[in-house]
Parts: sequence; structure tokens; C-alpha cells
Amino acid sequence: MRWHTIPPDDLIWRELDGELVVRNARTGNTHLLEPLAAEVLRALTEAQAGLTVADLVARLRDDAATEDEWSGAIEAVLTEFERLGLAEPQEP
Amino acid sequence: MIVADLPESELARRLGGAGLRLRTGPLVTEIRSRLLEIADGVRLHYRDHPAEEPGGFADFHVRLVLPRGPRRWLRPQVLFQFDGAPPFYPLPAAQAFPVLEWGLNWCVSSHCHQYLVVHAAVVERSGRALILPAPPGSGKSTLCAGLVSRGWRLLSDELTLIDPGSGHLVPLPRPISLKNASIEVIRRFAPGAVLGPTVQDTLKGSVAHMKAPVESVRRASEFARPRWMVLPRYEAGTPARLQPLSKGRAFMHLAESSFNYSLHGRRGFETLAQAIEACDCYEFAYGNLEEAVELYDRLATST
Amino acid sequence: MTVPDTDIVSLALRDPRALPGWPLARWEALVRQARRANLLSRLAVLLDADGLLQSVPEAPRAHLDAARTVSQAQEEAVRREVAYVYQALAPTGAEIVLLKGAAYLFAGLPAARGRVFSDVDILVPGVALGQVEAALMLHGWATTHHDPYDQRYYRRWMHELPPMQHITRGTVLDVHHAILPTTARLKPDSAKLLAASRPLAGEPRLRVLAPADMVLHSATHLFFNEELGSGLRDLADLDSLLRHFGRQPGFWEQLAGRAREMDLTRPLYYALRYATRILRTPVPATALRAAEIGRPSPLLRRLMDVLYLRALRPDHPGAADRLTPLARHSLYVRAHWLRMPPVLLVYHLGVKAFRRESPGTA
Repeated sequence: MRWHTIPPDDLIWRELDGELVVRNARTGNTHLLEPLAAEVLRALTEAQAGLTVADLVARLRDDAATEDEWSGAIEAVLTEFERLGLAEPQEP
Repeated sequence: MIVADLPESELARRLGGAGLRLRTGPLVTEIRSRLLEIADGVRLHYRDHPAEEPGGFADFHVRLVLPRGPRRWLRPQVLFQFDGAPPFYPLPAAQAFPVLEWGLNWCVSSHCHQYLVVHAAVVERSGRALILPAPPGSGKSTLCAGLVSRGWRLLSDELTLIDPGSGHLVPLPRPISLKNASIEVIRRFAPGAVLGPTVQDTLKGSVAHMKAPVESVRRASEFARPRWMVLPRYEAGTPARLQPLSKGRAFMHLAESSFNYSLHGRRGFETLAQAIEACDCYEFAYGNLEEAVELYDRLATST
Repeated sequence: MTVPDTDIVSLALRDPRALPGWPLARWEALVRQARRANLLSRLAVLLDADGLLQSVPEAPRAHLDAARTVSQAQEEAVRREVAYVYQALAPTGAEIVLLKGAAYLFAGLPAARGRVFSDVDILVPGVALGQVEAALMLHGWATTHHDPYDQRYYRRWMHELPPMQHITRGTVLDVHHAILPTTARLKPDSAKLLAASRPLAGEPRLRVLAPADMVLHSATHLFFNEELGSGLRDLADLDSLLRHFGRQPGFWEQLAGRAREMDLTRPLYYALRYATRILRTPVPATALRAAEIGRPSPLLRRLMDVLYLRALRPDHPGAADRLTPLARHSLYVRAHWLRMPPVLLVYHLGVKAFRRESPGTA
């Protein structure tokens, strides 16, 4: 399952002190993303073809946590993104 | 021509008749009222403000009247009208001047969407502005009054106006409203400050207004640029302390404190981002006004 | 040219090009009245379209800009809201016809530009009403007007569900199944409206009324509706629709015929009469003559002129004369009478008056 952000025209963001404030033009809502969520969003916007959870883990992980912990954290972020309308999963 | 230049009879004539056209920063409001509290309040608090001649353009037209009905004589009330329609319920007539002030705030926050309007105090020193967004009870107005009594220029105690194109802060110098204990605090802190009468039993407790310093009024057409954004919190006994606040969090606070952030859409986002990027952002706790003001003086000179 | 201030908003709408030359005092009166009439943003858009906004003096221009900002935000909000509504109702299979502002917006009509939007109005088939209400509730809309009297008023006597408000977004949706109440004297057939409705590109179940029906609905809403606070705004909508559709071949020819078919000749008559008189809408003489089938008796017509020419001004002190409050009240009673039989009317007005809020609310 690959994840995509909503079209870039519908998103504006600014990086502030490592966090990201982002406005979703579709919902009209503004969000503050903590560093991990910010990284996930940035990675998704750079990947035209979308990314899987595994892709994101590979890209973002460091040794501070296990692969499983990273997976779990990233999935939680993606679920939240879906709820907020910032990203959508697409079946292959 | 400022209000102080108008003879008493002329001021009364305008207020009781076609209206006093009062300029506050970029806005002109036509004020009509026969109530003594209004004439007194205007003469005291707006003496240095320009009184415009008819034939120009007034942005808002407000009136404070005693509504009709039997209560008119028993327990008189005052009703604020905007272009003939009342946005609020009437309040006891003794509160006429605070009602005028709240009404003027309402005019701006409901209509001035040419700006991003933030519920925050804003003061300026050496061309750099300090923005203090905060919910009621945070001590924002007390702090604002304190700073303004010690050399900071008042842009506004309630309504920070940001021009979306340029990011400029637009002054709107008007009386600073003080509540309950703050009234006495400011009387002691700034014995030279001009305070109007204390009005009891409003929804917020007792209310008094501190006149904006004449310098602040005279410099109302000078914009300022944002430099510090601080979330104040008054807590008795706390030593004055500034704690860095992440810009992300500061952005969200500013957006939540805005009356019309969502109306501005994308442009609102960009305007706030630009303002936050220019600012050092802090949380601030304090228990003593003297200490707090000194801390800000040091902040202004050291950064 | 001296036009009394009572009519400056309609004057401004008719000829925006003269506005930059107006003295400030005139602008002041215009801004106040246009704001009250919800037409300030429309003026801003008209001036902008002619490239004249920058020529407006700075002080009034700020108000035009502010009004424009609001209407742009509302436009985005309406787009979003319709998307949410469609998402909620698509599974029911019911046809959803957008009405009024939302329709103008999605159909790309000039009437949408600079418009002040509030609720979203939709028309659905009567048989689908239960399903539609259920689907909306599932997706977070809740009914308002919980008083049993009000509920009955809307459901049984009017032509709509009580307004539904979304619990998180706070937006309001008005779901109609007819454009006039079943108790009204005129009986336009909703099935015909639905049959003639047009799909929006790519969404067969999201539709708008056919052009003539859009005009007739707007006319009916204006002349048979209770609240005339936004009368001039609604007339401006009508003017815009007529100008736009008037350029389409065959539109004028079939307008009166459709009005007769829909039992709406009287509202059409008033619509053309007042749009031409107040906003100088260009209507071909043939169309005006054809609409005469809806003409009331001369006495009634004279009375309606007295009432409507006042009531169609902004609801603002500057636009009122001595007779204006009476005119508004008379039309309020009349509009109710047109929608409800007299016995019900007395009951309804009696109940409404009893439950009026305390002074301070307009």
C-alpha cells in the first residue's frame, strides 16, 4: 500500500524550528506537525509515486529505536494524516 | 484638530447630534450619544485623538442609547448600536463607557478583514514590536499598561492589526482596559497614568480604562515590525521568567488568537508565518509587574 | 445627478463605472448600506472586473477588500461543504439538486461572484427524504429547531427538513423537497424541476436546475419568502441570472411558458417588473409582454409597487422612509399568507410572536 499526499497545490507549509506548520486547502485546517510527522510529510511530497511504510522506515529510521518501533510510529502518523485529509493510501 | 481643541459645547453638540467623528489609527468612527458617561469618557480618553470634520469618510457608525421601555427610568440600560442595529443585549447604563470600548473592539474584529486581526496586545520600542496574545485573565492588559507606562509605545491592548501584504503592524491606540486587581496595581505602578472611573459589576468584574499616552496617539500612523512574541501568564509569587517557545507552537497560538485567520485562507497562513519567522518567541510567567517590566527592558536592549 | 441616498446601492450596481468619482460622503453611505444588504463584496467584484478597484479612494476601498476576503473564504467553504454533502449522500442514490448560491458557484455562473453565502440549499426527491436525512445524520449533521412546533412547521407545512447543522463544522444545510410549501396557493411540481435539472460535469447525481427554473426559483424565493432582509441581494442574483441566461438562444421565448407550466407566473411577473425597474435588467419587450399572464389586478399591482419598491432596498436606516417598516411587515404577512392558509397563518404568527427573543436581538 503506497501513501500519497494530497496534491501539492492544496498544501502549504513552513518549517519552524524543526516542526512544520501546514495548511490543508481542502479542509481549510492548519496543523502543527512534530518532527517525525514533518519528516514523513516531506518525504511523501518528494515522492511522486508514493511511498510504503517500509520505504518511509528505510528513509527515516535511525538507531534510536527498532525497526518495529519505527514502523509503528510511522503508521500512527499516516493514520493521523488520513484522518486529517493530508495523505491517502492507494492499493497497488 | 484634536478632541481637546473642541470647546465643551461643541463636543456635546457633535456627540448629541450628527456625531463625533473620532480617528483611532487608520479608522474613523462616528460616535453618537447623549449619555454623560460617554461625553466624559471621550473627553478624558480621547482628548489627543483627531476629531475629523464631516464630509470625509467614517468607517463605522455607532450609537449608545437608552433603549425604550419601562426600565428606562427604573434601572436604566445602555444599548450599543452599529448602523442602527444592536449586536449585543443592553447593559446597565453606568457601564456606558466600557460598552463603547467593547463595541469599538467588536467593530474592528467583525469588519476589519483588510487586516489579520489578532486578539493580542502589541507595544513597540526602538522600531521593534512585542506581541502579547493571551486569553483573558493572563495578565496581558496589566503587563501592557505597565510597559506603556515605562516608555514602550502603545499600538493596541486588544487588537493587533497585521497588514497581510507587507506584514506591518498597524497601530490602533485606544484606552487600555484594566480589570479588578489590576486597576490598583497600575495606580500604584504608574501614579502619573490617567485612569478613568472604575465601573463595578460588569460581566468581567470591575473595569477601568487607562488613557493611551499622548506620544502613542501622536505616532499612530507609524507602523512597526514584529520582533518578539510572548505568551504571558500572571501567577502570584512567580519570579519573572522568559522561556523559549518553539516557533511552531507560537504560530498555532497566534492563529488561535486571531479573529479572522481562517477568513484569510492561504494569505493568512503566509502572513502569520512571516510574522513568526521574524520573532523570538517565549512563554512568560510573572508575579510582580516591576520585575516583569525590567525584564522586558533588558530584552529590548540585549537583542 | 442627484439620486436620493435611499437608492444608492441599486444605482451603484447598475453603473459601477461611475463609482470611483463619487465623493467620500457618498461612498460612506454606499458602504454602510451595501454592507447591510450583503452586496459590498459584489460591488468589489464588479469594480475589480472593470479594473477600477485601485481608483476607489483608500478608505472605502479597505471595506471593499475586507468584504471580498470574506466572500472568497465563504466560497471555499461552500465548495468544501458541497463535497462533504455529496460524499454523505452519494450512497443513497438520490439526486441532489443544488439551489441558490451553491448552484451558482458550481455551475460557474456570474451570480456567484462576490456573493455572500450562508447555508447550502439542496433539493431532493420527496420520496428520498427519509433516506437523505438518515444519511446526513450518519455523517454528522443534526437537526435544529427542536421545538415540536417548529419541527412540524418545517416538515409538514413548509417544504423542507428543519435546517441541519453539522456537529463539528457548524455549517448549516437546508434540505428541500419542493420549492414552495404544500400548503401554498401556487403548486409548482417538483418532479418537473428534477426532470429538467442538469448534471454537473462528471457527477450525474449532483445537479442544478435548468436555467428557466433557476430564474423561477429565485423569483419565487424572493417574492414568496418571509425574510426580505436580503431582498435587494436576491434581486441582484435575479438580475445576474437573467443577464447571463438571456444571452442563450431560446431562453426568453420559453420563460413565460415554463412559468405557466410551473404555476409560477405571478413571481415571474414581479421578478421582471422589479428587476427592470430597480436594476435596469435588459429584458426583451416580448418577454415582458409574455410575462403579463402573471399580472395581478391594477390595484394589487399598485400596492405591491408601494411595498416592494421600499422593501427591496437595503434594510438600513439610510434607505428607509416612513413607510418602510410597514412595507416590510406587510410583505412578511403576505409572504406567509402565500405559503400558508390563513388559519395556520394566524396560529403560526401568534406562536412566533410569543416566542420572540428578548430585546436586543434585531
